[in-house]
Order: sequence, then C-alpha cells, then structure tokens
Amino acid sequence: MLLTEKQRDALGEVINIAFARTAASLSQLSGSRVLLDAPGVEVLAIDEVPGALANFIKQEVVTVHQIFSGPVSGDALLMLNYDGAVNLTDLLCEYGLKPHTLDASAREALTEIGNILLNACLGVFGNLLHVHVSFSMPRLHLESLDKMLRSITIGAEDLRYAVVVSTEFRVKESAVAGYLAIVLGVSSLDRLLGAIENWEQGSQT
Amino acid sequence: MARILIVDDSAMSRRILRRILEGAGHEVIEAEDGLVAIEKYFLDKPDVVLLDLIMKGMTGMEVLQKIRQMDENARVIVATADIQKSTQELTLAEGAEGFVTKPFVENEILMAVDSALKES
Repeated sequence: MLLTEKQRDALGEVINIAFARTAASLSQLSGSRVLLDAPGVEVLAIDEVPGALANFIKQEVVTVHQIFSGPVSGDALLMLNYDGAVNLTDLLCEYGLKPHTLDASAREALTEIGNILLNACLGVFGNLLHVHVSFSMPRLHLESLDKMLRSITIGAEDLRYAVVVSTEFRVKESAVAGYLAIVLGVSSLDRLLGAIENWEQGSQT
Repeated sequence: MARILIVDDSAMSRRILRRILEGAGHEVIEAEDGLVAIEKYFLDKPDVVLLDLIMKGMTGMEVLQKIRQMDENARVIVATADIQKSTQELTLAEGAEGFVTKPFVENEILMAVDSALKES
C-alpha cells in the first residue's frame, strides 16, 4: 500500500512519540538509561514482511504477540532473534542466563516484558488518537517468521498490511535489535491513517 | 499495615509487587487468575486488591465488576500495562480506587495503596 508523503511523515511522528514511551518503559524496567535509534517505519503487504526481515531474522524468531480490538484492530508483534531475546531477558531480569537458553522462567518474564512494551507503544496511539483498543493476553511464539505470520493471517478476509518499525536499543552497554510490527486489515489501516490525520489537524489548531 | 491481594497472571509482576509491598511492611496474598482472586478475596478479606487487567480466563475488568457487585466497599487498584486514558476512565467508572501502570514505580504503588487505605 502506497502512503502519501504526508501520511508517512505523520505515521512516523506518532511512532516516534510511541517509541519514546516504550524506551521510557524499558528504562524503568532495567533501571538504566536506554539509548534508542530513530525507528525506521515501513508499511508492507504481509507477504513482503519475511523478505524485508530476512537479514535480521534468519532462523527462529521469538515473538510476543498480542491481539488488539476496537475501532482499529489487528495484531501487535514484538520480534527478536533468539540471541536478542536471551540478551534482553538477561539484561532486564539479571538471571545470568547461559548462552542460548530461554527457560520457562525467562519465557514468562519475556512475555510480560513484551506485554509492557507493546502496551506502551499502542497505548500512545490510543491516547493521542482518541481510539480505545482492548488487548488480549500476550503470547510467546518460538517459530520461523513465515510460520508465525501465516498463523496470524489464516482466516483473515481483508488484505493484511504490516506497519513494521525497526529499531535498535542499547541497555547497559548491550545492543538489542528488534522489530515491532502492527498487522492490520486494510479497513483498520485506513481508520488508523484517518485518526492520525485528525490528530495532526487538531494539533495545528 | 495492610493485607493486600495481588492479582496478576505474570509471576514476574507478582514478584515485583510483593517485593515493594513487603518492603513497606504489608502482608501479601497472590492470585494468578480471576477465579482464584475472587475466592481469595472472600476467604482472606484483603484490605486492598491490586488487579491486572489482561489475564487469561476472566479479565481484570470482569474481576473488578464481580468483586464490586459482591462487596461495594471493596478497594481495588488497577495495575496494568495498558496506559490508555480511556482504560483508566473505564476502570474508575466501574469503581476502581486507583490506577497504576507497568512498569511499576515503587512510590506510585505505595501512594496508591496508602490513598486507598485512607478512603476505607
């Protein structure tokens, strides 16, 4: 789906604000200052997502997945490669995890960390745009990106798009790269862009 | 000091809240889902409930409604990752005494609890 320059710019600004809140949440969780790269934003058809993320996620992806519903509905995904997930959990919980292990306790903690970060990001959307969304329970998936994306688009009738936000954050001198994706049907994406346009006009008055 | 029921399906969040509350001298009871929370509310008679919203089975909103239906004096503080103002308004309209967001900040939790206790 092609966005106009104005839509892309406005969407980028809302995501910048949302990511600042997300970084603040990460900082609170870790007790350390979090340095965040400016997020990159792309709107992709769902079948373009694996190709776009192929360099980052080559094998299994660790995803915290939350369904949200309301005037704008879809799926919110926090995606990390396996090493990044282990690194993030260890940084925030100080479990002293052995390399390449995500045990039950670490998975439970990562699910809650994802819940907090996804809510921080989408909550800013809700507050800024005056759109109330309800969240389902977060779920942790460990599988290939293709398989995970197929599982969330089965049965979806309208075309699915993903607002993909890529970023890298640095916590306690360690870099963790991750992606956040908001998967929407075309009607929800239209409503989201409309709400952003209303917000922009309201901000100017 | 008060007896406080923590309702959250995340063990990590329960651990964090327990550390904060016990550090301030409160007694803590835990429930990992809504049904257990309702049972413990009536068995253990806590002074304050700290309630997550997004949980498996009964949602936090359903638990809030149920507890308030059965005890109109129940003191419930919603403790959630959902930072939307509209969510805060909805829970306060259902009778919640306070609203705190994750990640938890010790002072905010203790102030919310103190405020709820003063109201009782």
